[in-house]
Amino acid sequence: MADRLFRALALVRVVVTLNLIVLNTYRRDNYDHPWAAVAVVAALVAWTGYAIWASSSARRRTTMFFVLDLGWAVGSLAATPLVKGADFNATIPGFWVMGALLAWAIRWHWKGGLAAATILSVTDLALRDSIDQANYGNVFLLMIGGPIVGYMCKSLQRMAVERDLAERAAAAAEERTRLARAVHDGVLQVLALVQRRGTGSDNADFAELAGLAGEQERALRSLIRQQGTVTPDAAERDLAGMLEERGSSHRLRVEVATPGVPVAMPSAVAEEITAAVGACLDNVAHHVGPDARAWVLLEAMPDQVVVSVRDDGPGIPPGRLESAVEEGRMGVTGSIRGRIEDLGGSATLDTGSHGTEWELTVPRRAE
Amino acid sequence: MSDPIRIMVVDDHPMWRDAVERDLQAAGFDVVAVAADGHQALARFPAARPQVVVLDLQIPGPNGVEVTAQVLQHDPSARVLILSASGEQADVLEAVKAGATGYLVKSASREELLDAVRRVAAGDTVFTPGLAGLVLGEFRRIADGPATDPRDELTERETEILKMVAKGMSYKQIAERLVISHRTVQNHVQNTLRKLQMNNRVQLTRWAIEHGLDDED
Repeated sequence: MADRLFRALALVRVVVTLNLIVLNTYRRDNYDHPWAAVAVVAALVAWTGYAIWASSSARRRTTMFFVLDLGWAVGSLAATPLVKGADFNATIPGFWVMGALLAWAIRWHWKGGLAAATILSVTDLALRDSIDQANYGNVFLLMIGGPIVGYMCKSLQRMAVERDLAERAAAAAEERTRLARAVHDGVLQVLALVQRRGTGSDNADFAELAGLAGEQERALRSLIRQQGTVTPDAAERDLAGMLEERGSSHRLRVEVATPGVPVAMPSAVAEEITAAVGACLDNVAHHVGPDARAWVLLEAMPDQVVVSVRDDGPGIPPGRLESAVEEGRMGVTGSIRGRIEDLGGSATLDTGSHGTEWELTVPRRAE
Repeated sequence: MSDPIRIMVVDDHPMWRDAVERDLQAAGFDVVAVAADGHQALARFPAARPQVVVLDLQIPGPNGVEVTAQVLQHDPSARVLILSASGEQADVLEAVKAGATGYLVKSASREELLDAVRRVAAGDTVFTPGLAGLVLGEFRRIADGPATDPRDELTERETEILKMVAKGMSYKQIAERLVISHRTVQNHVQNTLRKLQMNNRVQLTRWAIEHGLDDED
């Protein structure tokens, strides 16, 4: 960043030096000692060339360099009455002093700008017999401009540092994600392969290992999906991700189908629905057995969400639910219905030889 | 007996590729080519002329979605069966839009894989419940979007059947439940995929026209 500012300053230096040469050539008749004036201007041009080269590298931008830079400006100002006579109007360097002033502002920010402006102003005013409005105006601009440019340089440099940090953090995060994907993909492949080889193996240990590999594969796959579906707002949560998580962590083998994009719901509502789905799955495990399979489907419409939980069990015998209610055992059915109705939705149960299916419908809050 | 089905296996994990190849050969399929990345797959496809490409989505080079599109452009009679480890949802949906007619996660058993290859080769579609959920979601988004052509939308029957697939029911169970033939269920499912692919092509064409890409012709 500092390099860029000094490159910009090099351009300013070239412009003010050209201005210096042209103005002094134009006013060559004003000098008491013209050859001395030529020597001063030549020295300033030479210094400008050196200064542009020196300031292009951080290593060469020493404190001594900045002191000399300002020294040339002050020195050439101070030489003016000697070369032009005591009643001079314009100084020899004129706007050329801006180079040193801005260099100090870049190097030491507002303090540098203020210090250089003060030194230049005091020198300029001390040389003059009388001070007119133009002199005052120049000094005023110098005193205002030096610190302001310095302050802005500091802000620019800070912003550049912050931007670099942000860019680095983003690049690191991206790289981490890429690595995680590669690692996850490899781990998933191996887990899937172990599961595939071992399932149905005569070796009981291997078959058990295959089962464990399968569980871990499902859990990891679900975790990866959820990573991609985090909703930033804490007041809302992604129902799809929560159902994925609940399904994969359940002891049954559960397949969860979602629309593939986050389904944002108010946190409390999403938690209640997830809890109700958990109760449905527990019910399946209890009534059908630990080997039962279950499927969860989430559909998101603009005005409502529908969650279906289906199992492949033999179904609930007719009259069983009614008798349970009559006996005062509300049980699971009541807890599922109760949760969903509290959310303003409805829960319907469909059971038969094809299995048992809960359909939970919950309205989405109007936007 | 008819000739064995010709298959190409594309996967960048050698261990997994070998396992799939072995299983397929043991079951009497003819593995005519294997490839470790998208470039190899596209280079070997024209000479090998497989009927079914068993394709991993996460491969180096042109990814699985691009390979699907290019392979089917080259030979529309070929079939693509996606075999994916991580179930990256967006990729799976894109591959199906590009023309893949089958999708399995890698944790599927050997028998499930062999069955899926046979069905895909015969022109059937192989849906997992997860894929059915994605497709349902996609049609909801299409329907909620602007200026929908009714032909792009699913019929009530198609939606009903897709929901049943998403809830883990087999085509046989669905046929029994709706008292229709297995073939009819199959046709409905195929129609949903065709509509999805058609919609994708329409979107691409519309995009091309809006961006002036048709001027070249």
